[in-house]
Amino acid sequence: MKRSIIRWPGLAAFGIIIGLLVIISWLFLDSILKISMEYSLGRLNGAEVNIEKVEHRWSPLTLTAHGVEATDPAKPTHNQVQLARLSADVSVAQLLLGRIHIDQLDVVGVRVDQERSSGEGDVYVMPDKDDVKNWASTNWEKLKVSLPEKDEIIAQVGLQTDQVLDQAETKIEQQRQQFEQAKDGLPDKQKIAEYQQRIKELTESDIKGLGDVAARKEKLDQLKQSIREDKQAIKQFREQLSESAEVVKQQIEQVKQAPGNDIDRIRDFFQLNQSGLQNITGLLLGEKAKQWSEYLLLAYEQLAPMLARSSDTETVKKVRGAGESLSFAEEDAPPEFWIKNARTEVIVADSQVDINWQNITHQHNLLGQPTTYQARLDNSKLWQAFNLNGELSLLASGIDAKQQWQLKGANLNSLGLSNSEQLTASIASALLDSDGTVLVRENQLDGDAVIRMLDLTMDATGSSKITDAVATALKQLNRLDINTNFSGSILNPKLGLNSDLDQQLGKLLSQTAMAEAEGKLGEIKADLMSKVEGQLGSKTALLENISSLNSDAQSFDNQLEDLLKAKIEDNLKDKLKGRLFGGL
Amino acid sequence: MLTLLAKLLKALNSETSPWALAMAMVLGMFLGLTPLWRVHNLIILFAALIFRVNLTLFLLSFAIFSGIAYLLDPMFHELGLAILQAQSWQGIYEAMYATSVGRVSQFYHTLTMGSFVFSLIISPVIALATYFIVVNYRKRIQKALMKFKIVQMVKGSRFWQLYMDLRG
Repeated sequence: MKRSIIRWPGLAAFGIIIGLLVIISWLFLDSILKISMEYSLGRLNGAEVNIEKVEHRWSPLTLTAHGVEATDPAKPTHNQVQLARLSADVSVAQLLLGRIHIDQLDVVGVRVDQERSSGEGDVYVMPDKDDVKNWASTNWEKLKVSLPEKDEIIAQVGLQTDQVLDQAETKIEQQRQQFEQAKDGLPDKQKIAEYQQRIKELTESDIKGLGDVAARKEKLDQLKQSIREDKQAIKQFREQLSESAEVVKQQIEQVKQAPGNDIDRIRDFFQLNQSGLQNITGLLLGEKAKQWSEYLLLAYEQLAPMLARSSDTETVKKVRGAGESLSFAEEDAPPEFWIKNARTEVIVADSQVDINWQNITHQHNLLGQPTTYQARLDNSKLWQAFNLNGELSLLASGIDAKQQWQLKGANLNSLGLSNSEQLTASIASALLDSDGTVLVRENQLDGDAVIRMLDLTMDATGSSKITDAVATALKQLNRLDINTNFSGSILNPKLGLNSDLDQQLGKLLSQTAMAEAEGKLGEIKADLMSKVEGQLGSKTALLENISSLNSDAQSFDNQLEDLLKAKIEDNLKDKLKGRLFGGL
Repeated sequence: MLTLLAKLLKALNSETSPWALAMAMVLGMFLGLTPLWRVHNLIILFAALIFRVNLTLFLLSFAIFSGIAYLLDPMFHELGLAILQAQSWQGIYEAMYATSVGRVSQFYHTLTMGSFVFSLIISPVIALATYFIVVNYRKRIQKALMKFKIVQMVKGSRFWQLYMDLRG
């Protein structure tokens, strides 16, 4: 008998298998959800996410997670954010269409940058070195508390005395060669005596008639021409001497000034380049400002990268065999992930700040609205008034967002700023006001804020001369205005801090550094002066020599000038008269 | 394991239709090559149980093709991505994506789409190959095998007893 193609017991077996699957899912749904959420949130976060417990309720469909901790990929010993409880009302109708629409999300007990109780978390996407936040502060340890050695100072500053000495030597040698060359064309004493002799012969010897007078006149004219040429040579030589004297004087002056200039350069080095002296505000307040800004930039630092990763699979390393889900949502379709309303209770120094959110999604182009958020808390234990609001959109070009806040009358008490070996500093008490705006365009942050500390009392102790000077200055402060600017990309924000404290303390620290440096400066100055004096002697002698040569040349010139005054006509007349009267 | 092998030999040597065995091989291949937790695999399981296909070969095929799938995953992903990114099909995908059935099927998942299409393409080949092997085994290999001394030895073993018991 031919058996039927249908195996009816198989239908029962299928029913049993499906039944078992349903029962197992039902019994272990919370565990399955916990594992799935830890896996998918961990992939979005780029590092391990732990959830203590997940619970569900069918009607209305509600999911509650307790103790959610998201490891900071850049600092795995800490949680980037952690929440005590998260509760979401999920839309069943949309879930059947494959969309996660949450009508109301409540998140309570949000804290950022908390140490992980369960030890270091796994990191799935290691942030680039460049992505690790480059905050304004450096370490107090980097502040140079001992001065560099003499040779190190010379190497770093680049002293120029030697160079000036070499230049002076070269230029003076050039001048020496030029005036030596000019000197070769000068008449000597013998030549002048010869001129005198010849003029005497022409003007004073016996005349043999009128023809002789004419001949002598011609010879005298030739002689005068030669004398004029020599005078010209003397003139040129004197001009050369004047120029050389000027150059030598100038070089001597520069050589004399060179050690002083180098010493000034070393002083500038201490004022400007002393490592760590440039940004005291960043050094002192950088760490605290970083913590404060992590709360202020919570929306950008935590939510935006996660939403960005959820829409860009490239940012998360693919697991082999996991594949990739593509979206074919139409332009007018609702977003696939949409939290319509959310309330987050952020814990700031044991006080609770409620932030209300609307329209959290990674598909703002489908929704046509940005994610918006507002926080307001007045007359709390911590401050008189706080108001924050902002909006955020994930677009094809990147994240666009803006946020502004005002904080008034925040009480700061016993707030530790630095606890290093070099400097211990804390704010004993202060009233803090702050307001600012941050804009994000195509993932780039741009914003500034003002932090004003009023009624400021600080405690500080330094262990070196420099840090002690800092501590003294800090204790004298009673008001501090700090300008803060935000820049860089959203995944790698940069915070710049500056205030008049920088100038005040920078000057003070420079003076302290200079006081310590005086001894070393003296050594350097003595070295330079001995070098300069060694060369100055020969140059001064040269200048004196030039002066002497100039007076010699002047004397020659005068003698030649006198010779040029000699006239044959007068002598001739006298001789002729003598003859005539003698003959009569 | 011995029982499973014995059952397989029984199926090969029995009067079970070669096409039923080929169908078991193909269904097991779908289950093995495509991601397990997908709705289409419920249909495959339902078909394997309700129709008189050989469950032993179905499970064996599932195990073998699961191993092969691990090796072919990158290729499935690329194939699925190419299919899902085909411009002329975008309208159909968008329409399917808007439906519950489309969402539940997870057709938009590259690995699911790639492995499913690959399984569809090679299923006739696998079916024909299985049919050819079974028919030729029964016609030639079965008789030739029986003549080997080793087979004679096996016939005297516990495994053979198990096989005979199963055969009834």
